[in-house]
Order: sequence, then structure tokens, then C-alpha cells
Amino acid sequence: MLDKLQKSTTPTSERNYQLAKWVCFTIFLLLIAFAYVDVGTISIGSNNYNLSLIRLNKAIAYTIAILGLQVVIGYTGQIALGQSFFFGTGAYVSAWLIADHSWPFLLTLLIVIPSCFLIGMILGLPALRIRGLYLALLTFGLAAVFPSIVKLDKLYGYTGGAGGKLTSNYKFLAPSWLPFDEVAQALQKLPFLGDFFGDGPLSTREESRLWKFILFSILAALCFWLVHNLIHSRPGRAMRAIRDNETSAAVSGVNLALTKTLSFGVASALGGVGGAIYVAEIGIASPDDFSSLVAIYLIVGLVVGGVGTLPGAVIGGLIYALVPDWASSTQSISFVPERWLQGPTGSLILGVLLIVLTLFLPGGIVMGWRKFKNKLLGKELSTAR
Amino acid sequence: MTPSVGHIWGLDMDLFLQRVFDAITNGSTYALIAVAMVLIFKATTLINFAQGEQAILGAFAVLQLWYWGIPMWGAVILGMLFSAALAAGLERVFIRKFDPADHLPLVIITLGLFLVINAIAAIVWRFDPQSFPELFPSGNAFTYNNVRLSWYSIFAFGSCVLVLVIFQTLLTRTKTGLAFRAVSSNLESSRLSGIKVGPTLQFGWALAAAAGTLGASIYAANPVLQIEPSMMLRALIFSVTAAALGGLDSLWGALIGGLTIGFVQSVVVQYIPFIPNEMSLSAAVVVLLIVLTLRPSGVLGTKAVERV
Repeated sequence: MLDKLQKSTTPTSERNYQLAKWVCFTIFLLLIAFAYVDVGTISIGSNNYNLSLIRLNKAIAYTIAILGLQVVIGYTGQIALGQSFFFGTGAYVSAWLIADHSWPFLLTLLIVIPSCFLIGMILGLPALRIRGLYLALLTFGLAAVFPSIVKLDKLYGYTGGAGGKLTSNYKFLAPSWLPFDEVAQALQKLPFLGDFFGDGPLSTREESRLWKFILFSILAALCFWLVHNLIHSRPGRAMRAIRDNETSAAVSGVNLALTKTLSFGVASALGGVGGAIYVAEIGIASPDDFSSLVAIYLIVGLVVGGVGTLPGAVIGGLIYALVPDWASSTQSISFVPERWLQGPTGSLILGVLLIVLTLFLPGGIVMGWRKFKNKLLGKELSTAR
Repeated sequence: MTPSVGHIWGLDMDLFLQRVFDAITNGSTYALIAVAMVLIFKATTLINFAQGEQAILGAFAVLQLWYWGIPMWGAVILGMLFSAALAAGLERVFIRKFDPADHLPLVIITLGLFLVINAIAAIVWRFDPQSFPELFPSGNAFTYNNVRLSWYSIFAFGSCVLVLVIFQTLLTRTKTGLAFRAVSSNLESSRLSGIKVGPTLQFGWALAAAAGTLGASIYAANPVLQIEPSMMLRALIFSVTAAALGGLDSLWGALIGGLTIGFVQSVVVQYIPFIPNEMSLSAAVVVLLIVLTLRPSGVLGTKAVERV
């Protein structure tokens, strides 16, 4: 009720401003997509950093998985670390349907979402009794066992064992009605900036890459819209009440069991969608892509972006997709011995980020930015997040 | 076919005994890491996800010291001191400023430590498995037909019991131990009665890290294993389960839990036909699930009583 009142009193100028912001953002995304569709590297010093659409598509997959963590950790306050389990489940279900039953990608989501939702709810049932650290333990264990479940001999027919499941039989062909070529050529003719957009018409591969990026972005936007609405609805308020004080939430009539299992289900379904997108992007589901390290990296994404903030998931996804990759492609920095650059530098950086942000900026980058902005504008920071 | 001890209920007793001995060997090393977890949980009601990595870092330090020519057991003791000092530092810098009742930041910090320590160990010592020097006499203490009990198993179990006895004495007979028990029983009251809570918890962390390093050294000294930075990840799951099974705040529970998990891993999984062999990790997680759902306080732990 209050939400509706507030919405109706939002001044038109404010709404226009929001609309303009989103339109600009979409145009910006499209420009990025066209600019990086063929060559996607930035050079700093003697190091090349990959910024191709492949990385960005992976980032989208991680973003959606982190969005799921936002629901269960950020808004419901349940420390569930095992998102890689559902990420992997979604990936394998989708891969199985695509590879063995030649389903198109989008159709597999119709199976992935309900199955992950159900599995998440079932695995969330113990969470009704198990709380806090115990839950963290259990979910971490769940993440650790996923690769060994996938490698089981009995499941070889479905999962392809240690070798993984190839989905390369499904090609993402861009629909012919999309004017990719025309747009690309128009952008190439831009004064000064045209050079950024490559030469000549797009090849089929580039078109399919572009199509994937746009498709995944739309899926991600849908997920964000749904989660945003969920958070601001009655069950969402119940979730936040549980996060802030479980006892008082129960006293105020929140159905703890229902709300918790719901949030587990939603989080798992989002993890599944992320996994399906991940597999659609890289073309193979292999067990080691869903290890417990992935679960920890997703937590890094959650914390660095900002626990309990929706835009934080985007930042987290980008950081997860780019930081380890860029760290491993950094071959030489002056004053840093080479030995330190060859090891798992990415994981070191992510760990340091995790610790530093938890110590000094508990709300992550998003909350930090909001504080900074409000300081500039001289506004009080609203406590509702 | 060599003659065997005999068959009881259709079981090959040789194989069965051998698996029981394996269970005791594995269980003791899990118990040592589990003891470390229990110490930290007792003090701060926190589960340290970085415990395994701290332990493996300590084991690598032991290896390095041994390379530098320090005798093996001297290296182990120095390594334990090193990791104790490191853990005390980590507690002071990263853990103490957080409210122990708010779990999320603490879990995140220990996960961050997990990543950082793992990466540093991998950068310094590389991912290649290296053989760890033997801590105990090689060979078998006892051979009967096909059943072998190695000295390693006996010493692994013995050192686990020894560590527990030492810790038990330390906690019940010394003043620091008394302070530690007071803090773990009630943090606020012990602060009011003049106990320096911070240093006491720091002491708990140091003790835990020393136990963990000993556990990882013994684990890596297993003749069939080699040391590598990520070897503790599996052991961490087993140890956590062991700690939870025994009761997260009970020292002797850690031993019972460790042995049970070793038993599940080496014996139960082998004899239940529908569980494939490689599922021992999953079996541990299932045990964890059952314990936490049905009896969160474990076998020997104190039941949590909550005042609403």
C-alpha cells in the first residue's frame, strides 16, 4: 500500500529521469557489444587484457547466480554458500537437454528453472532447523561434493563423466530480422569513433556472438526485474524481516518455513539459469567448472558488489569474470617478481578484495558509491536497502 | 589365495580388518584438524573455513625448514610455533573487531583467508605434489596374513590422543585454560569478572593452528600421499563433519567424530553396494546433514539453549 502511494507521488520529472537513465544504459551496452564483437583486447604495457563478448557473457551468467545469492544471503540473511551446486545443476540439465535431446536453449530454461527451484526448496528444508554457521557448513559441503556426483559412473550417460558434456551441436543463429549488419556499418561510419567498430560486415560467428550477448542481457534484465518485484512484495518484506530479526518476524506473523524455503528455491532457480547461460556460452559442462572454489568466488562477487544490493550482483559478476582472467594474462609488471604473476594471482586478489571490503566497506562497492554520492549531494543515507 | 582369518557373515575378515585400520589412520588425522575447529568454535562460536589452509601452510613451512636442514621433529615444532604466531596475528587483525554474534562477516573473512592463504601457498610452493618426509618409523608394526597395521597408523592415532590429553590438561589445570573455558562459556560475564577476553581468544586461535599444523603434517606424512596446496580441501570437509558429529564444542567428541568419519569413509562406503566408492566425500556430507538436522549439538556437545 505504502509502496503504491509512493509510486504515484513520484514526480514525472523523476520518472523521466529514470527512463532516460535506462535508455542510455541500453544504448551503452549495445555500443560495447558492437565495439568488442570482433577484437576484444585492451593493451596496458606489454599485457593484453581480454574484453571480448565471451567474458561479458560469462559475467552475465555469474551475475544471475550472484543475484540468487542476494536473495538468500542479502535479503533473507541465510548463509548459504553452495550456489555452485545449483549453478552446476542448471548447467548440466541444460547441457543434457541440448546435447541428447536437441532442445533449443531457451526451451531448456523451462525445465532448468522448475527443477532447480524444487531441488533448492528440498535442500533448503534442513535450513529450517539448521541456522547460521551450521547452514554455512552444510552448504559448503554441498558445493564440495558436486563434482564427484557429476563424475559418478552411473550418471555417465547424462553428464559425460570427467570429460564433460559438449553442447556444441546447438548453434546460436541470430534471427535474420535483426539489422546487425546495418547497425555495424552505420557505427563504422561515425566520425572519429568509427575505428572502434571494426571493418566491413559482420561474419556469422560475430553475429551469433552478438545475438547471444543480447539474448543473455535480456534474460538477465528479466531476472533483475522479477527479483526487484519479489523484494518489494509481501514475501520480499517477509524475507527482510527474517534477516533483520527472526524472532520478531515470527511474532509479527511471518511464516518462517514458507518464506525461507521460497527464498532458497528462488536463489537456486537463479543459480540454475546462470549455469544454463554459462554452458550455452562456453559450449561444454565440465565438472571442475562447478567446484567449491566457484562457490567461494560467487561469494566474493556478492560481497564485493555489495550484500543486499541488486546492482551489486552486476559488479560482482564482472569482477568474477574479469579479475582472475586478467590476473592470469598479466605476464609482466615492473617491480613484481614473475613468480608472483604465474601462480593463482587472481584468487589472491579476490581473497584480498574480500577481506579488505569486509573490513573497510561492509556494503561493498555499491553501498560505498551510494554513500559517496549522498555525501556529495548532502543527503542523509536512507537505511532501507 | 593366502589363507585368511576367516569369514563371518560372508565378510572377508582380512579385508574388513584392513579397512578398519585404514579408518583409524584417516580418522586420527581428521580428528586433529577437527580439534582445531573445535577449539576455535569453543572460543568464538565461529567455524574457521581457513583452518585447513592454515594447516597446510604450516605443513609447507615444516617442509621448508626440513629442506633447510633442521631435523624433522624440530621442524614440526617450529612449524607449529610459526603457524600459532600467524594465527594469533590473524585473530588480532581480522577477527577481533567483529561482533561474534554476527556470523556473516566472520564467515566471509575466513573464506577470504582461505583464498589468500591457498594462493600464497600455491605461489610459493607451486601446485606440483611434493613428497613429505616420514615422521614415523616406516614398515608395519604387525602383519597377519594380509592384514597390515603400519607404524604410521599407530603413531597417527597416538599423537592424536596425546594432543587431546595435552589440550585437556591445558584447559583444566592451568589459569589460561580456566580463562579460556570461562570465555567460551559466557563471554560477557567473563569480561566483567576481569578476564582479558581478546588475548584469551587469541590463545585459542594459536593453539588451534598448532594442532592443525600437526594434523596436516601427519596427514601429508602418510606414505601414500604427497603434499600439495589443495590437498586440505577434501580433508576440511571430513574434519568439519567430524567436528560436527562429535559436537562442535567437545574436544573428545572430535576424536570420536574423526574416527566415525574415517569408519564411514573406509568401511561403510565399501560395504554398501549402492554407494559407489568415489562417494566417500558425499557420504560425509550426508552424515553432516543428518547430524545437523537431528542433533545439532553432536554426540558429546552441549545443547544450545536459547532465550527468546
